[in-house]
Amino acid sequence: MNDNLARQLEILPLNLSHHLKITVIALAIGVAVGLPLSILIARKKSLRYPVLTAIGVIQTVPSLALLALMVPLMAALSGFVQRFTGSGFSFFGLYPTVAALSLYSLLPIVRNSVTGILGVEPTLTEAARGLGMTDRQTLFKVELPLALPVIVAGLRTATVWVVGTATLATPVGQRSLGNYIFSGLQTRNWLAVLFGCVAAAALAVTLDFLIGALERAAAERRRKLAIAAFVGLAVLFGGGLVAPTLVAQYRGTGGSDAVSIGSKTFTEQYILASLFQQTFNDAGIPSRRVENLGSTFGLDALAQGEIDVFVDYTGTIWANSMKRSGPADRERVLAEVTEWLAAERGIRSLGSLGFENAYALAMRRDQAEALGIATIADLAPHASKLSIGGDYEFFERPEWRSIQDTYDLDFSREDTFDSTFMYQAAATGQVDVISAFTTDGRIDAFDLVVLDDPQGAIPPYDALLLLSPRVADREDVAAALSPLVGEIGEDLMRSANGLVDRDADKKPPSAAARELRGWIDERGSTSPIP
Amino acid sequence: MISAHSVSKSFDDGLTHSVRDLDLDVRAGEFLVLLGESGSGKTTTLKMLNGLIAPTSGTIVVDGEDIAGVDQVVLRRHIGYVFQGIGLFPHLTVAENVALVPMLLGWPRPEREARVDELLVLVKLDPKTYRSRAPSELSGGQRQRVGIARALAGRPKIVLMDEPFGALDPITRDHLQMEYQNIHRELGLTTVMVTHDITESLILADRIAVMSEGRLIRLGEPADLVAEPGDPYVAELLETPRRQAGRLGDLLDAAGGAR
Repeated sequence: MNDNLARQLEILPLNLSHHLKITVIALAIGVAVGLPLSILIARKKSLRYPVLTAIGVIQTVPSLALLALMVPLMAALSGFVQRFTGSGFSFFGLYPTVAALSLYSLLPIVRNSVTGILGVEPTLTEAARGLGMTDRQTLFKVELPLALPVIVAGLRTATVWVVGTATLATPVGQRSLGNYIFSGLQTRNWLAVLFGCVAAAALAVTLDFLIGALERAAAERRRKLAIAAFVGLAVLFGGGLVAPTLVAQYRGTGGSDAVSIGSKTFTEQYILASLFQQTFNDAGIPSRRVENLGSTFGLDALAQGEIDVFVDYTGTIWANSMKRSGPADRERVLAEVTEWLAAERGIRSLGSLGFENAYALAMRRDQAEALGIATIADLAPHASKLSIGGDYEFFERPEWRSIQDTYDLDFSREDTFDSTFMYQAAATGQVDVISAFTTDGRIDAFDLVVLDDPQGAIPPYDALLLLSPRVADREDVAAALSPLVGEIGEDLMRSANGLVDRDADKKPPSAAARELRGWIDERGSTSPIP
Repeated sequence: MISAHSVSKSFDDGLTHSVRDLDLDVRAGEFLVLLGESGSGKTTTLKMLNGLIAPTSGTIVVDGEDIAGVDQVVLRRHIGYVFQGIGLFPHLTVAENVALVPMLLGWPRPEREARVDELLVLVKLDPKTYRSRAPSELSGGQRQRVGIARALAGRPKIVLMDEPFGALDPITRDHLQMEYQNIHRELGLTTVMVTHDITESLILADRIAVMSEGRLIRLGEPADLVAEPGDPYVAELLETPRRQAGRLGDLLDAAGGAR
């Protein structure tokens, strides 16, 4: 079998089981909240419109945004809980995901349940009363049984929505089938993206079929069909809830003292996380991976101990977390960031890995040569005729304002791209200048040039190897990772990234990490790089 | 058995009245028919008798107790009710429909099951054939037989019926009327039935209460009503069956003469 496909299949049980877990929890909460809510608003006409409108509005929030918004909300809630009970909860991963998906499932569940209950013939509810049923008995013996097919139809819609939307849980730190899609997009592994889509679709179709059978059983009052559908659902979800434990036990990495390695959503981070995991394996330290953290969640997750090992960049912390701006000296930034992390967040920095992954402006070599551009300063006279592309956050970042102010740049157009497509867009002339990362393998792959920054408008971005407060004192962890500090030069990192980001003979991040370890060991004795 | 004292019901804070100043005594063992056109207040009156609708003013006494002071859910379990449009629960079988009130009353299962068979026999439905059928699998007449069985399941002394035979074809209606009258007598029930069918009321009732525009305008035995309407509206009501009976009599005479 194809290596790539084999690798995707290997992580299928893990991704699928997490996907099922968040789906079943979200739906359970959706039903537990939605059904009583439906009964309430079916009874109280004055509440019906406001409640249905409110959950309709939730539905209009784009799902990715709703998931992301749940993180700060959960963080605030966690802080609130901590104030009263002394310990907060994880505001990252499972909780925000389940909160957002439950909210999402409410609309179909509530709308159908209300319609179902109100659709029961008045003659029947009157008959129930006339025979001497209490309101409760009327509800449970007449209204709900008669509304059941419509309620189950709502659950069926909700299930398909939730299965689809759960693929977006990946960026808030919750593993799901979306991991295939997000990491596949970042590493341009289209097979992984397709695999994730097909797996999510297959799951949605299977659940739709099973709940559809349940709906038919409810409508036609076929007990055996209902039992069969329930058994099918129980097997699927039961497997889903148990599988993570089984998989973890099988691999021996489930324990809570496993060191959790976080990574952001780009190739370099995947490779480094693989590198750390391989290092831990050799040192006999159990570890697990938390992939695809949105850029700003990572540091919070680290401070909270959601993840234990993480690579972040001095300039990012300097600008985003410390809110500092303006040109700054590399050594000073490194020292102040290290001190700030320890003092404000309890995060221990083992030091710089040895490379900078800086924001830089890059453009096509031929165009740069034709216009005679070598530095950002040279861009200024041409900028009004050129367009610039940036990743999702670039145009919002202080660095961009600093570049604009320092060099007085005014481009004709600013386009936002996923970084997967950004380099390609530059190479094919769809944009002229892009916000590149200096270690990105695609700079070489697409024959782009990085423009110098003579005024130092872009802060330094030394890659820091960080430990959470939870493992800051674990000397075995520090001892295992310390040999890597200062050993990964920009050339090594860019070469390793290139192994993954190229189209021909593409390597998975784990293989690139193995290559990188080899180079580091080699360089320890000799010098040249491959 | 049942008495209403100056009972009124208004659904719009006294602007209009569905029922106004009603005084009525239903004797134990009596078959009383509330007769009137739609909008006359007869169904509202019936529903007030078991607390389905609360009167705006006045008192209703059932079996010696003012129903305003008793748990009306319990009251309704002890009064049989046959609904206009039957109201069988489509998600329950015939047996489950019939066993509903005994279940609400907390009877043990074997007793309920026995009662279901007994009642199905009483309403002339073979228990073996019909117990586990769904209401949707029955004819209109069969459904109303189940409706009657359900009303009787809790061994009530009082049965309220809201136009129970209105939707049936004439032959089925005739059968069911006679059968119910027998059941009423055999079980010693007190029955209050609402109808707009004058002939039906004349055939079944011990006494007829004629209602119009929320008021009780005439109360008496069928024979008295026919002999002495006592009110122009009642006289007009009785005109139709009288004319029909006359014409039918002529036809029968003519047929007899020819023979």
